[in-house]
Amino acid sequence: MHDMSHTVHHHAPPTSFIRKHIFSLDHKVIGKQYYGLALVAVLVGMVLSWIMRIHLGWTNYAIPGLHLLSSNGAPGNVMTPEYYLQLMTMHATIMVFFVLTTAPFAAFGNYFLPIQVGAEDMPFPHFNMMSFWVTFVAFLVLVASFFVGDGPTLGGWTQYAPLSAVGAVGGPGEGMGVVLWAASIAIFCVGQLLGSLNFITTTLDMRTRGMSLWRLPLSAWAWFITSCMGLTAFAVLMPACILLILDHVAGTSFFVPSNLVINDQLQPHSGGSTLLWQHLFWFFGHPEVYIAIVPGMGIVSHVLITNMRKPMLSHRVMVYSMGALAVLSYMVYGHHMFVSGMNPVSSLAFSFPTLIITIPSTIIVLIWLGSLYGAKLRINTASLFALGFVSMFISGGVSGFFLAQPSIDIMLHATYFVVGHFHMVMGVAAMFGIFAGTYFWFPKIFGRMMNETLGKVHFWLSFVGTYCIFMPFHYLGMAGNVRRYQAFVIEYMQPLIPVHRFITVAALVTGAAQFIFLYNLIHSRFWGKPATDNPWQATSLEWSTPTTPPPHNNFGDKLPVVYHDPYQYGVESSTGDYLMQASPEQVKTAYDEA
Amino acid sequence: MSQADLTMGGRPAGLTAGPAFSVPAKKMAMWLFIIADTATFAACLVAYGFIRNATPNWPRPFHSITNVAIMTFILVTSSLTMLIGVRAARAGDKAGALRWTFITAAAGILFALLHVREWLALIAEGMTLFKNPWGTGLFGSAFFSITGLHLTHVTGGVIALIVVGIRYKGSRYNADDLEILGLYWHFVDMVWMFVVPLVYLLNLAH
Amino acid sequence: MTTAEEHKAKGSGKDLVVYLCVLALAAIQFVIAYQNIDGSQMFVRMLIVAVIEAGLALLFFMHLAENRGLLWFVVIFTVFVLLAMQYGWTDSFRLSVGVAGAK
Repeated sequence: MHDMSHTVHHHAPPTSFIRKHIFSLDHKVIGKQYYGLALVAVLVGMVLSWIMRIHLGWTNYAIPGLHLLSSNGAPGNVMTPEYYLQLMTMHATIMVFFVLTTAPFAAFGNYFLPIQVGAEDMPFPHFNMMSFWVTFVAFLVLVASFFVGDGPTLGGWTQYAPLSAVGAVGGPGEGMGVVLWAASIAIFCVGQLLGSLNFITTTLDMRTRGMSLWRLPLSAWAWFITSCMGLTAFAVLMPACILLILDHVAGTSFFVPSNLVINDQLQPHSGGSTLLWQHLFWFFGHPEVYIAIVPGMGIVSHVLITNMRKPMLSHRVMVYSMGALAVLSYMVYGHHMFVSGMNPVSSLAFSFPTLIITIPSTIIVLIWLGSLYGAKLRINTASLFALGFVSMFISGGVSGFFLAQPSIDIMLHATYFVVGHFHMVMGVAAMFGIFAGTYFWFPKIFGRMMNETLGKVHFWLSFVGTYCIFMPFHYLGMAGNVRRYQAFVIEYMQPLIPVHRFITVAALVTGAAQFIFLYNLIHSRFWGKPATDNPWQATSLEWSTPTTPPPHNNFGDKLPVVYHDPYQYGVESSTGDYLMQASPEQVKTAYDEA
Repeated sequence: MSQADLTMGGRPAGLTAGPAFSVPAKKMAMWLFIIADTATFAACLVAYGFIRNATPNWPRPFHSITNVAIMTFILVTSSLTMLIGVRAARAGDKAGALRWTFITAAAGILFALLHVREWLALIAEGMTLFKNPWGTGLFGSAFFSITGLHLTHVTGGVIALIVVGIRYKGSRYNADDLEILGLYWHFVDMVWMFVVPLVYLLNLAH
Repeated sequence: MTTAEEHKAKGSGKDLVVYLCVLALAAIQFVIAYQNIDGSQMFVRMLIVAVIEAGLALLFFMHLAENRGLLWFVVIFTVFVLLAMQYGWTDSFRLSVGVAGAK
C-alpha cells in the first residue's frame, strides 16, 4: 500500500542558509527558534514589569525615556493610569502566551520529544515550521499594538467584555489595540494547533522499536499530555477571539449587553452577554495554566531523576496524575469567575472539581518529595532549579486551596493574593522549569557546558529574589490591596506602600540577575567547555545520539532500539550505575515496570 | 509539500513500536484536527445557544425549508460520492476515483453556490451581521458567523478535493490521502447535521 | 483486512444503506420542525436525531466502526470536551429566568 521510500533519511540535510536556519524543517532548529522567541519575549515582558513596579513603588517617578515608547501614555516620562494597565496587559499576554507556552512546551518539546521517542523528525516538518512562523507573526502583531493609535489594549490578558468589545470608547487601546490583541491570539492558536498535531502524532506514531508508551520518559509524557490539552483549548479560544474582533469591526454584539452606557454614551449594541466571553475565555484559560506548568513538571522530574540516580517512586502514578490534571483542567475553569456574577449554582459545581484537582497536584508533589527523601542528589544548577520548581509549586499551590473555595475567594479575589498565587505556581515555577531544562539540556543542544558557578549564582539570586517579590503579594492581598491599581492613594492602602517599594527593589535585583543567565547562555554557547555526549550519565535516548549536537536526522543511519524503561539508575552495568534505554545489555534491574 | 510529508507514516513496520490504533500519522493528524475543529464548532454553537436562550422573542424568520433541504441533500450525497471515490481508489480504479472525487468537489461547489444565493437573498431582505428586520441583531450575527464558518470549511474542502485529486492523478498522492481527505469531508457533512436543526429549523416561522 | 476488491463490493452496499438512513434521519429533522411543539422539546428531539446521524457518519462514513481503539479515543476525547463546555448554560438561563433557587 505504501509505495514510499523506506530510508531513515526522509529529508536530506539542507544546505542553503535559509533552509538551515530560517525556514528550517528540522525540529531541532525549530525548537531553538521557539526558545529564541521566548527569550526575546521574556526580556520584553520583564522590562515591562520593571517599569510597572517602579511606578507602583514611586508613583510619579519619571522613568527616563518612557515617553519614547508612548508620548500619550507617558507624558513627561510619567505613565498615565491607563498606560499602566496597557503595560500590564502586554506583560501578561507576552508572558503567558509567548514565554510560558512557547518555552517549556514548544521549544523543549520540539527539540527533545522526537529524540526521546527515537524518531528522526516529527511527522509533519512543514506544519512544524509553519507553527513557529505563525507564532512569530502572532508576536509581531501583538508588539505592533504598542505603536498604533493609542497603544496596546488595557483590558488585561483576560480581555473581559464589555469594555474589550465596545471599541475606542472603552478607553485607550480598546479600539485598534484589542483588535490586534485578538488577532494575535487567534493567529497564535493556529500555531499551537499545528504544534499539537505534530506532538501527538509524534508520540503516538513515531516511537522507535521497543519504545512502548510506558517506556517514554516523564518529559515526553508531559509534552504529550500538554499537546492533548492544547489541541482543544486553543480551538475554543480562536473562535472566541474572532467573535471579539467581529464585535469591533462588524458591529455585532456577542459580548455587549443592551443599554450599556460608557462615558455617558449609550452604546449602539444590544443583546449580548458579558459572561459568555468569560465562559469561552476561561474554557481555554484554565487548561492554559496547565499547558504552562505540566511541561515544567515533566522536565523537572526528568532532571531530578537523573540527578537522584533513581527513578521516581512511581513512574505510572506520576503519568496518571499529570493526565488527571489535564482532564480536570477542563472542569474547573469557573473558579476564575466566582465573583463575576456567575450563577452561584455553578460556583458550587466548579468549586468541587477545583478542590479535587489539588489531589493529583499533591500526589505529584508527594512523589517528588518522597523520591527525594534519602536520595543522594547531585547538586548542580539544573537540579537546583528543579528543586526551586518544586518549592515554588508548593508555595504557590498552597494558596490555591484558599482560592478554590468561593466563600474565601470572594474576599481574596482581584487582590494581590491572586497575583502572588499565579505568579508563583504558574509563572515562576514554569520559569524555573525552563531554567532547569536549559541548564540540563544545553550540553546536548550546543555541545558545550554552561558555567556552573554563574548558574548557581543565578539560581540563588532568582530563588531568593522571587520569594521576596511574590511572598509579600499574599500579605498585601490579605490586607486588601486590590490588583490592577496603578497607585495606592486610598487611605487604608497607604501603609502598604513600603511593602510595594521592597517588592520593587526585589524585582529590579532579581530581574538584573537574569542577565547573568543571559551572559552565561551566550558565553557558553561560543566559549563554554566542550561537552561529552552524555555529561550527566543519563539514560534516555537524547543522550544516545551519535554526535553532540545530534545530527540532522538525530540518530545517523540507524534508529535506536529501546530495551529498557526510561530510568535505569542505581544498577550495576558496564557503564556504571546506569543503563541507557538503547543499550541491549541485560542487568539485574529493580525498576523494569513496562 | 515535499517528500518529507509523504514518507511519514509509511515507515517499515520493523522500525517503529507500531503506531497507536494502527493508524498512520497522517490519518491520526486528521482525526486530531477533527477533534479540535469539533471544539471550535461546538464553541460557536454553544455561544449561539447561550445568547438565544438569554434573548426573549428570538426571531424565527425562515418561511421555507426548500433551499436548506436541497443543500442538506447535496451535502449528504456528496459524502456518498466521496465514499465511492475512496472505494474506487482502494480497488485501484484510478479513473473512477478521480471522477468521483471531482463529482464530490462539484457537489461542494453547488452547495456553496446555493448557500451564497441564500445569503444574498437574506441580505436583500435587510439582514446583516448586526441588524435585521425581525428582532435582535444577534440573530444575523449568529447566523452569518456559524454558517460562514461552515461555508469556509466547505470552500476549503472543495479546494483540497481539487488539489488532492490533481495530485492523485499525478501519483503524488495515493488512496490513503484520498481517504484522509474524505474524513474531513464527512466531518463537514456531520457538522451540517447540527447546523441545520439548530440554526435553520429552530428558527422556522410557524 | 479484506482485499481491495472484496472490500469495495461489500462496502458499497453498506455505504448506500447508511446514506439512505442518514437522509431519512435528516428528513425526520425537517418533519420535527413542523410539529406543533414547544421550542425546547423540538430542540431535544432534533438534537437526538442529529446525534444519531452523526454517530452513523462517524461509524460508517468515517469507518470508526472498524477501529475500536480509535473509536474510543476519538469519542471519549470529543465527548468529554463537549460536555465540559456545558457549564455556561446556567448563566444563560439565569439571564431570562433568574437565579436558580434564589426564592
